[in-house]
Amino acid sequence: MKSLVTIKEGSIGHWVLRLLAAAIVVAIMLWIPTKGSNGLVTSATEALTLMSAAMALNLILGYTGQISIGHSAFYGTGAYVTGILVSKYEWSPWLTFPVAFLFAFVVGVLVSFPASRIKGVYLALVTLALALVFPNLLRWPKLESLTGGGPGIPNGDSALDTTGFNIGRRDGQMRNFEIFGWDPFGDLRGQGAIPFYYWIAAGIAVIVYLVIRGVVKSRAGRSLIAVRDNETAAAVMGVNLVATKAFAFGISAGLCALPGSVTAIRLGAVSPDIATLTILGSLTFLIIMVIGGAGSLWGPIIGAALYVFVTDRTGGWADDEAIPGVLRPFFGWSKIPPGSGIFAVILIVLMFVAPRGLVGVWKQYSPRVVRVVPRPAGVAHDAKPALVADTTTNSTPEGESE
Amino acid sequence: MSLLQVQDVSVRFGGIVALDGLSFDIEDGQICGLIGPIGAGKTTMFNVVSRIYQPTSGQVMFRGQNLIDAPAHGIARLGIARTFQNLALFPTMSLLENVMVGAHSQGKVGFARAVLRIGASKENNATREFAGELLHQLGLGPLMFRPAMGLPFGTLKRLEIARALAARPTFLLMDEPASGLTHGEVDELGDTIVAIRDQFDLTVLLVEHHMSMVMGISDKVVAMEFGRKIAEGTPAQVQADERVIAAYLGTTE
Ligand SMILES: Nc1ncnc2c1ncn2[C@@H]1O[C@H](COP(=O)(O)OP(=O)(O)O)[C@@H](O)[C@H]1O
Ligand SMILES: [Mg+2]
Repeated sequence: MKSLVTIKEGSIGHWVLRLLAAAIVVAIMLWIPTKGSNGLVTSATEALTLMSAAMALNLILGYTGQISIGHSAFYGTGAYVTGILVSKYEWSPWLTFPVAFLFAFVVGVLVSFPASRIKGVYLALVTLALALVFPNLLRWPKLESLTGGGPGIPNGDSALDTTGFNIGRRDGQMRNFEIFGWDPFGDLRGQGAIPFYYWIAAGIAVIVYLVIRGVVKSRAGRSLIAVRDNETAAAVMGVNLVATKAFAFGISAGLCALPGSVTAIRLGAVSPDIATLTILGSLTFLIIMVIGGAGSLWGPIIGAALYVFVTDRTGGWADDEAIPGVLRPFFGWSKIPPGSGIFAVILIVLMFVAPRGLVGVWKQYSPRVVRVVPRPAGVAHDAKPALVADTTTNSTPEGESE
Repeated sequence: MSLLQVQDVSVRFGGIVALDGLSFDIEDGQICGLIGPIGAGKTTMFNVVSRIYQPTSGQVMFRGQNLIDAPAHGIARLGIARTFQNLALFPTMSLLENVMVGAHSQGKVGFARAVLRIGASKENNATREFAGELLHQLGLGPLMFRPAMGLPFGTLKRLEIARALAARPTFLLMDEPASGLTHGEVDELGDTIVAIRDQFDLTVLLVEHHMSMVMGISDKVVAMEFGRKIAEGTPAQVQADERVIAAYLGTTE
């Protein structure tokens, strides 16, 4: 396969390319809260929250190959830990993030022990049960004093209140964060704080991304992929299967709790009826991850952006008049917004043409334009290989870009 | 004392007796050939040493320690590596990454250090260089960035050897490394095995059906049939053994 440009990994050209990509991401992230409408900022916040959860799921499902349909429970754990600590114990919302992580980490590790004995569809069923049980657990009368039962923790005086962040206040006065006329956080109260929530969601997404990137690019991450590809061989290489799955589950669950906490802060309320806390949340994370590309760092990011884009664009399509002319005959039948239906169709089509998701498509075709040649490993001796009398491989050197 | 002592090991699968009181020793630095008809229990023996199968009785002493007391993932750290008869590679990984996983037991960076980036990239680079070096030595250097999936069987067999060596073992078990190779390649592989043994200071347990190769490079040969040892000794002694001849005449090799 010929490519227009080949760039050596680690060369100046490669760094320029990477900096360019990073600059584009930063520019988009800055552009949204400064120039975007409130609607766009809210959608972006939604996308950032969903992508964090999908990235967390990707660690255990995409990389480690352990299916989980229970991640909505971990997400909900984060939401409730934050909700309870802020409303009942008046914690600063900031401090609830590490607690939410640790709490969900422990739950994840506990789930991993039965999970490391079962595989495939059985594991899917066990985690499905977790997702189904979680909202009912929240409604359980014996936990009502903590969780607020069916109504949850409502938005109100004693409820989750972002003034608990305190960063916007000094001596009762709002602090001014304006930089050259640009106010990155909004006014930090109520609806005005939309950009502020955006930045919290963005910060969490960046942290989740960096944690997962750190793991998968290391020895630990290779052991996860090894477990996914061949458990027996992984064990023979010295990978402790039980401990590895426990850590992977724990980290995945802990990270999934973080966007849950963001949701609690953003809504200022939590209840068992929030869709992402139910099985619907698990399925949404799963679909986002699969469409974007399971087992790739950027898959959940692309998937979440597309998911929110489609559901937003079609949000008003329950009303036939709102559907753009050409599309009306296709979606006129639907009396609810057809976003999830459209996404289902995308999913089915992708499973046939690109089972490795959109990032898989990118990895397949982008080398035709730019191929990054990996840095060589080890020294190639020009003489015959030391342990091979006569090289029978007649293949040409070829690099695969990651 | 011998490096490995297999002592009265039996393995049963329901009614099938795969190993039936098998005992033999391997001395340090030897290449020991393990032969026998298909179904004799050779692979089962490997799986006992790897702790994939739990023996019904008996023990396997390695440097004076009973392997049966160790978990499966602890074997590599003791200096024991193996290759698989029917390949057990990581198909989605590149050849380089496969070999890097082979070095897992040599590494230190776990999840916490990976997340906090403490020494992770340093270890990564060192492992990467080492793995690349092994691939070059086995003639797989030009293929190192290809995914393992889809490459020819013979190539993947050699990849298994590279991956096993990445664990810096002192004892290497090879399960039919020559299967899928042409006659010329088989002889070449024999030389490779001797070269590996000398270069890495290994003791080798070799299961192989290509008699000329096993007999040519082994210091000692153990012959098995129906889970039992039927002969043990130098290649010449084993080849002359009546029971071995009978066992092989009874099968189509
Ligand atoms: N996991 C297993 N379950 C049931 N029977 C097995 C299993 N592994 C091996 N066996 C049986 O044990 C016997 C020895 O097999 P094996 O060790 O693979 O022989 P070899 O490697 O010498 O050809 C065979 O009869 C085989 O069918
Ligand atoms: Mg066998």
